[in-house]
Amino acid sequence: MRPIGFSTGALAYGDFRKGLAILRGKHTTTRELSALRETELAPLVAALDSLDLSGYTYISVHAPSKFRVEDEPAIVGLLGVVASRGWPIVLHPDAIRNAAGWRSFGPLLLIENMDKRNISGRTVRELSEIFAELPQAGLCFDVGHCRQVDPTMNEAHLILRAFGDRLRQLHISEVNSRSTHDPLSSAAIDAFRAVASLVPENIPVILESPVREEDVGREVEQARLALPVLPTGSWARARSADLHSAIA
Amino acid sequence: MADSSQGDPILTLQAQVGEEWKAIRHARERTSETNTKLERALDGLSSTDAAIVVFGSLARSEWTQSSDVDWTLLIDGQADPEHLRVAQEVASRLEVEGFTPPGRTGIFGNMTFSHDLVQKIGGREDTNENTTRRVLLIQESKSFGKPDAHTRTLKHIFSRYLKDDRGLRYGSLPFKVPRVLMNDIVRYWRTVTVDFVDKQRGRAGQGWGLRNAKLRMSRKLIFATGMLSCFSCEVLTSPEIREDLLKDHSTIAMEEHLRRFVQKTPLEILATFLLELRIKQETVVKLFASYDKFLALLDDAEKRDRLNKLPLEEIPTDPVFGEVRNISRVFQEGLTALFFHDDDRLRELTIFYGVF
Repeated sequence: MRPIGFSTGALAYGDFRKGLAILRGKHTTTRELSALRETELAPLVAALDSLDLSGYTYISVHAPSKFRVEDEPAIVGLLGVVASRGWPIVLHPDAIRNAAGWRSFGPLLLIENMDKRNISGRTVRELSEIFAELPQAGLCFDVGHCRQVDPTMNEAHLILRAFGDRLRQLHISEVNSRSTHDPLSSAAIDAFRAVASLVPENIPVILESPVREEDVGREVEQARLALPVLPTGSWARARSADLHSAIA
Repeated sequence: MADSSQGDPILTLQAQVGEEWKAIRHARERTSETNTKLERALDGLSSTDAAIVVFGSLARSEWTQSSDVDWTLLIDGQADPEHLRVAQEVASRLEVEGFTPPGRTGIFGNMTFSHDLVQKIGGREDTNENTTRRVLLIQESKSFGKPDAHTRTLKHIFSRYLKDDRGLRYGSLPFKVPRVLMNDIVRYWRTVTVDFVDKQRGRAGQGWGLRNAKLRMSRKLIFATGMLSCFSCEVLTSPEIREDLLKDHSTIAMEEHLRRFVQKTPLEILATFLLELRIKQETVVKLFASYDKFLALLDDAEKRDRLNKLPLEEIPTDPVFGEVRNISRVFQEGLTALFFHDDDRLRELTIFYGVF
């Protein structure tokens, strides 16, 4: 069974404590603590020792997506506390100004593929450029972003085949035409099923759907429909060839 | 196989046969200048949901004097009343820059919505205009400004043609040619030829000479290169791409191959095939030298004007139209040699997919 959980930011905008409280007792084993806005990071880091995070098999932290260039070293410094716990750090590639600082996180840094508003980090080619700068970084594959960029899901397929060995986490939600997150629709579920075979069963799945507390369980079930577990080995076979190079 | 994947296939071909196709070079240079002018003129008008797409001679890199700009605002996103204002602004800026507006068919110079292009492939609602826009988007289109909507729409179109093609995905044929796409390209060409006669009747012969010249050369070129694009799936793809289709019934890699392949201009597609299949020099010269003469003729204001105003009764004796006739006959001989005589594999594919 896939480990599926939520981003605290999806459930309680800007309030990680409330997000965690909503999830308590919901039988989800993965969490992403969101500090998407710069002002959220320091309080989150300061609170880490006081949070009851027992029972979770996977915890990651989403780094701020926008900050001033002069604040980058301080942000990297604060995230060092997260990394010292061995927790992965999810980062939007367009937030990076100086790759050297981020490189120090090694494989704990997860680069997230972007939505159509961005001009980088959306495709295999654009992600290749980023991974060239951050050779040890992993991938947090946002399947909703990728569907928005290419609704045929071909790019999703190519990204998962090209960077399958970097895949550490999945983001899932419906991303609408205004580039905001929505609960999963049947069209999104159908689209995501097309690449489910390329996602190993043990990869943590983080929902970014903004849902009410009473709808958390239903949304997890929707995510399971979108990402059925396929026979072992099918993803490994699919990953064996780097199709992108063959096409290029 | 000769490697034409790197560099400019037309220049490589030209060097191989020891000729210089001046009119083609000139048209490409002028296309490049026009592209720069257009990029500047249309700056800031496109968005990730609405791309400015041009077709015709500009997209084919065959810009000659008096070429017009066939364009559309291709919308792939939320409905927005502002799109009309953007389309009007595109028309206005092109006029200010002195570009000739699109012809009077109504197919260009307005808004196009991706939904019709993607959802209505075949069936009663796939109108003549819709088929034209879709097939030309595949065969000769280029976006200015933000390309996102153009790229997404093309991906969708190829996805529909190939994923819905059960014969391609599951069939036992030894060849892997996208037959549904191929049939649409053939259908479009036949429609163009029949519509030519309709226009001849509807416009009382006005503009017949120029339209006929284009039909014999540039329209026929994109029909031929449309077929070649389909055949490229069998002839010019890597074993990994074909294996993906044969073993996993997945068309994803083939769709990507096609989308990238059609980014070449029709003349580049033709040159790529001539190089890769090591086609006879005689055929190469027939095809490219005749096309070069055709572009030179279009670039001659006097001759172009003569063709445009040629009365139907003077066709048999008119020297300019006689020139068109001679050029197009050589071009036709070149195409016949390429598709039926010079390469066994191409002949087999042409008979199998193009005839029966």
